Amino acid sequence: MSGQPFNPTLSGMLSIREVEVLCLKQIQGHIDDFDTAALRLFDFQRENNAAYRAFCATRPEPARWEEIPFVPLGAFRQSPLICFPEQEITRTFWTSGTTGEATGKHHFQSLSLYHAAAMKGWELAGLGGCEVLTLVPHPSQAPHSSLSQMASWLAPHDQFFFAQWAQLANRIKHDRPVILFGTALAFLDFFEWLGARRLTLAAGSLAVETGGYKGTQRDLPKEALYELFSTHLGLPYEAVINEYGMTELSSQCYARGLGTPHVAPTWVRVLVVDPTTGVEVEIGDTGVLRILDLANVGSVCAIQTQDLATRASEGFHLIGRDPAALPRGCSRLVGAPLS
Amino acid sequence: MKTLARAQALADAVRGLCDLYPPSCDDLLEAVRCELGHAEILDGFQPYAGHFSRAVAVESILHIVSGNTPHAALQSVLRGLLVGANNFVKLPSCGLAEISAIQKKLPAELADKLIFSCDLIPEWLEDCTTWIVYGDDATIAHFRDLCPATKRFIPHGHRLSLGLVFQDTTFASCSHAARDASLFEQQGCLSPHAFYVAENARDYAAALAQEMDAYCLAHPPKDWPLAVQARIADIRADYAFRAASDPKIQVWQSPGSTSWTVILTNEFHPPQAIGYRVVFVLPLPGNILVALSPHAAHLGAIGIWPATIPLADSLARSGASRICRIGKMQDAPFSWHAEGQPNLAQLVHWIDFQP
Repeated sequence: MSGQPFNPTLSGMLSIREVEVLCLKQIQGHIDDFDTAALRLFDFQRENNAAYRAFCATRPEPARWEEIPFVPLGAFRQSPLICFPEQEITRTFWTSGTTGEATGKHHFQSLSLYHAAAMKGWELAGLGGCEVLTLVPHPSQAPHSSLSQMASWLAPHDQFFFAQWAQLANRIKHDRPVILFGTALAFLDFFEWLGARRLTLAAGSLAVETGGYKGTQRDLPKEALYELFSTHLGLPYEAVINEYGMTELSSQCYARGLGTPHVAPTWVRVLVVDPTTGVEVEIGDTGVLRILDLANVGSVCAIQTQDLATRASEGFHLIGRDPAALPRGCSRLVGAPLS
Repeated sequence: MKTLARAQALADAVRGLCDLYPPSCDDLLEAVRCELGHAEILDGFQPYAGHFSRAVAVESILHIVSGNTPHAALQSVLRGLLVGANNFVKLPSCGLAEISAIQKKLPAELADKLIFSCDLIPEWLEDCTTWIVYGDDATIAHFRDLCPATKRFIPHGHRLSLGLVFQDTTFASCSHAARDASLFEQQGCLSPHAFYVAENARDYAAALAQEMDAYCLAHPPKDWPLAVQARIADIRADYAFRAASDPKIQVWQSPGSTSWTVILTNEFHPPQAIGYRVVFVLPLPGNILVALSPHAAHLGAIGIWPATIPLADSLARSGASRICRIGKMQDAPFSWHAEGQPNLAQLVHWIDFQP
């Protein structure tokens, strides 16, 4: 429990529904004053989440979105990080931690904003309107996987092919483009199963891969992974897209091909900061990634990740999980399904 | 070359080479005597329970060592040279200055028995009859799988070390604890990551923070990689978030840097070790053996204060192989039983003679 009775009618304070509407408008592109929306969301979350309020108490009052206190991912391993009554939790997604640490949990009162953000982000990344075949487990198999949930919005149940590589290979047709969506580890499994076989995808087909290799024995450079997409699926590098997301967020960033930066959707802001000072680094410099996601209404919108990134003029070049940090990540799904 | 000459040459070579006190010739000979029963038993037959025995060094030893703890690598090589074996050392990619330095100071007859490379030479795997491997569980498992059953395999895995402060009203142990935790940037198997404190853990943590700062001023750390800085910043933020809602948690840290961190926490089991001068202080529970039991298989050293034999005896079944005074955690003598095993005795075989 967040430690204090929920009170949506505090003076001047928006209710969770009003905040959701405000943020939904941002996602739909109807409002462009990001600072105002972020600060109102922050006010709401600070007021309705005792743990976050205590964390913010010793920090200066933010005047801009960059100054909102960013919580470490570990905060999601503590008592429920929620801005609504605990009994109203309808879904909980778990981080795929693998080292004996407590599992991080992201609780939702409603998935409507997550759904809106995931779908709009997919569309903004140029992925909309194409049939999706997924390589992740269906939510019925992995109910606590946010990735599976997102996949269920992109594809119907009969287009889930996790570890069913023969069926997936048969399902891929040459006459209409598809998007293959899965973790990097799942794609590697699929490629290993294919062996020397090479599938030919219809023109316009794409692959969207996500996650790293932490918690597994695998370690494949991005270039080598993308070469496998070319070898086995005939996809050029620019037809392979990396999705950067995490259980603790509701929105995703995308990068197309190799060497291009990840770009956040319009309702998300990204900072690359010096880990010691918290100050944003210069363009071209490397630091820790902070993300402010307006779709994270029911928990905390400002997250400090454990990932390193290089700041680009627009977006960021992902370096990935701090090598010294705890092994975790979506790709663990292949080796140890959350279900 | 006899054992005495080897011991003398090794003691001369290692003098001044390491931050920690180097073994003297007597230390080396005493280790031979303690483990093998007689200081000259490597040189010829000696009386042995009514007959005669002599120890003969294994032909050749492959040492696969870690860059984090040059002291451990150095001790491993010293043992191999002391018994008279040929030593082939796979160094970490960054090299190890101590190993090349010792070779330069050895007489030719001993220097010829020490060959090293940053690459793992395939012939070494085939030729060496004994493998000594330092590393994490995955590294140990990798080489264990490679090692034929006909060879002797001696693993030195990762270990968790910590301190137990049973009584210290004046916080006299804090400066010693700071040194133990700061040496080798807390990367060694003997580096303490947590201190359980019986009384007044918060004040102890505050005093320890002062001593960490003082040690840092005198011995500033190297510039740590960005990933390490990020990891430290993350663990600090993690505990700061918890501290905001839990008065039993507090964080002290070097201002404007990630040089040192002290975290007071109320956890029962030792928290995950971070390294790089991140120290946890916890209240000492009634039955510390229960708190340590999940880590029993991986415990290294336990520093205690005060350092009394009854307290050490109470920890004999904790799983740790080294119990010592706080302040001595990193100063393991040459004759210590690393990981609870005899060291020299594993590097010889025996020949008996019955007239």
